[in-house]
Amino acid sequence: MASEKPKLETLQKDFEDISKLPRLSAAVENVDKIIQLLSAAREQVAGTLDTHTAGPTMIKLQNPIKSAFESIENDLKKASAAHKKMGKALNESFPLKPLPMDHDAMADHVPLINRAIAMHLLREGQFSVASTFINEVQGSNSSKQRDTSADLDETMDEAENAYAGRYMSASPTPSDHYDLSSLHSRELHNHFSEMYSILQHLKAKDLDPAIAWAGRNSAELEARGSNLEFELSKLKYIWLFKGPAVNGLPDDDNNGFLGALTYARKTFSRFGARHLAEIQKLVCAMAYAPNLSASPYASTFATDSAFADVASSFTREFCSLLGLSAESPLYLAATAGALALPQLMKYTQKTRAKGTEWTTANELAFETPLPESMLYHSIFVCPVSKEQTTDANPPMMIPCGHVLAKETLARLCKGTRFKCPYCPSEGLLKDARQIIL
Amino acid sequence: MADYGASKINHDNHLLLDQPLLRLPYELLRKNFRSAHVAYVKDSKYVTTTLKETASGSISGKVSPQDVVKNIDSMLAKMRGLKRKLESHSEEEDRLYQQANARVSHLRELSTIQTVDDVKYEAWSRQRLDRLVIDYMLRHGYIDSASSLSQERGMSDLVDIDTFVNMFKIRQSLLNGSVNEALAWCNDNKKELRSMQSNLDFMLRTQQYIEMTRTMSTSKMLEAIAHAKKYISPFNDTYPLEVESIAGLLAFPPDTAIEPYASLYSPARWQTLAEIFTEAYLKLLVLPQIPLLHVALSSGLSALKTPACHSHQSNQTDHHGHGTASLTTRVCPICSTELNELARNVPYAHHSKSHLLEHDLVLLPTDRVYGRQRLDEYAAKSGLPPGQLKDLVTGDVVSVDKLRKVFIT
Repeated sequence: MASEKPKLETLQKDFEDISKLPRLSAAVENVDKIIQLLSAAREQVAGTLDTHTAGPTMIKLQNPIKSAFESIENDLKKASAAHKKMGKALNESFPLKPLPMDHDAMADHVPLINRAIAMHLLREGQFSVASTFINEVQGSNSSKQRDTSADLDETMDEAENAYAGRYMSASPTPSDHYDLSSLHSRELHNHFSEMYSILQHLKAKDLDPAIAWAGRNSAELEARGSNLEFELSKLKYIWLFKGPAVNGLPDDDNNGFLGALTYARKTFSRFGARHLAEIQKLVCAMAYAPNLSASPYASTFATDSAFADVASSFTREFCSLLGLSAESPLYLAATAGALALPQLMKYTQKTRAKGTEWTTANELAFETPLPESMLYHSIFVCPVSKEQTTDANPPMMIPCGHVLAKETLARLCKGTRFKCPYCPSEGLLKDARQIIL
Repeated sequence: MADYGASKINHDNHLLLDQPLLRLPYELLRKNFRSAHVAYVKDSKYVTTTLKETASGSISGKVSPQDVVKNIDSMLAKMRGLKRKLESHSEEEDRLYQQANARVSHLRELSTIQTVDDVKYEAWSRQRLDRLVIDYMLRHGYIDSASSLSQERGMSDLVDIDTFVNMFKIRQSLLNGSVNEALAWCNDNKKELRSMQSNLDFMLRTQQYIEMTRTMSTSKMLEAIAHAKKYISPFNDTYPLEVESIAGLLAFPPDTAIEPYASLYSPARWQTLAEIFTEAYLKLLVLPQIPLLHVALSSGLSALKTPACHSHQSNQTDHHGHGTASLTTRVCPICSTELNELARNVPYAHHSKSHLLEHDLVLLPTDRVYGRQRLDEYAAKSGLPPGQLKDLVTGDVVSVDKLRKVFIT
């Protein structure tokens, strides 16, 4: 397999060759020839307006024009042959494989997809595209039916209510927040534009807006167990410490060695309880100031990737506080979709051959392996029944520490007692505990 | 526990969603050529015949030199017209070739990437998402959004705005109650539609007829009969039942409740026409009938979805007030607000083995199971004294000796 030349490489080469073949432009030149022939004849006939010139001129004109038309036909044939070659190359290297389309599970959920796209655009920082999109969706809805015009608004609202931490029930009644719609989509927009402006400053090595944001959300971040606020302050200290030669800030008391020390006195005290050891390290480094790179603190003070690291953890925390994943879910889902699609196709082909229909069961009937980076939850498959545990059939831990699905346990039971299928110990049903993995 | 092989890109099967990307320029090249050829056949025939007639007429003295000049002028006009047409077809051809080459090299990039963990893959896959989103927008008629996103991303060679703009113009004209644009399109693609066995032409002609009978005026009724003779009776063999009911339509007023006449008169028929047209238009260009984003999402949502994503337990509001944000781990894309509702109706992924993201699992008195390492880290971050741990979701602080080891087989 590996030694085989990639098919697309072949295709690219074929396309290159084909685009060098004669095109329609050749025919244009031959049409020009006919125009010249006709123009010349017109001049002759119009010049004399004599019957004896007109007849022979026209007779003489027939053959050259006929041959010019023949060359045009030839040109067209060649252009068409090039297109056919392209079709052949496509069929050979990129044969058409029909996608499974009989069952479009997404067709009924256009408003939800629209919402996902709008949020994706906002989180990608495509604010103007996002607002064009929201306008177009709302415009087309209101032109269709009055009662669907609120679809995107409504769904945007749900989204915003969710990130605002007010997401109480799974399906809130639409009327609750219909009126707040425009306000909310602006709010989401504002959130992400704040995020982008802070990221832009971070890129320009300006930590202050990020520090201010972290300060405002200090309690929330701490509850999450996030060190972001301290990490930012630490980087600011290091950055000041490096002095004007590195950080490019004005060379005054607020910069360099002195500036860092002042900053440390002002800020670090509040982190004392949690980060004492690190603060000690940072301050002790002062002693090595002239030759930091050869000191034990060299790695702490390396800032090559520090700004990028802090930016990505900032993005993560920012999105988490909104209840959103750090990476665009739409991106992840589409990528996972492309990875899982071959499995889906294989399955639909086989079931179609057997005559069985695609059913919308709770669980896919085939495995869709994804890379580790795309696993977000621990999956527990009961080792006895081989079923994934769900709310209806949750995992249960039995006294010996082994875990089984609830239904399995019920089947294993003899009266109120059971024996663990994995070790010699026995237990009572009442001692089994439902756990949350 | 994840399948290591899963991160390797299967080059033969990874471009399923990208088939139309290369197919479309090819189909458009052929279509462009066909219209160039039709124009050529028509104009060359005119010039050849006119030239022949003028020559013989002029020799026999039937055509005066003045008329010869006049005829040459008309031939010149035809050829100049043909030149203009061919020039624009030739420009279109150049554009399509350039587009095809740009697209094949975009797809070719993928074959230099071996695994999905490669940073280059992310860039490539993001561009694919942009393409899918633009395709989705175009199919829903959000043309401005599609063009501005394409412009922002500088990927005009990779998207087919014009193709969909044309489709929407015709579709919209049908929805506004005009068949002319759609009929012209049918005429341009007569042969292909016939080989596809499309009934679009028949449906459009019938609509014209319906509109004539709707007026109830005698002159229009006569016109309708003439129209039916000319355009509808040829379909007698293909659609005998339909033609019969159409003939009967003359006897019923537009407000009739009797079927099938009521549905023939129904304004909803315009919507049906728009759907039939869209289907034929997409089929003719070998474009998928549904947005590719739908295909990608239904497969992707299922592959990512787990029973936990819509579970009441894991979505319980935690002590920080974020229902779906599981602390210090990455937020799952299916649990994230954007996709959670959308994924509710798709099946979850099938797994035959447990995949545990953490090791060394322990059970807290809160009935929640965590990896020991994560608990220790969280305790340290929360500044707890040694010997104490904090539940990541509920926030309960517990003593280490209350932990129980969990064995997952």
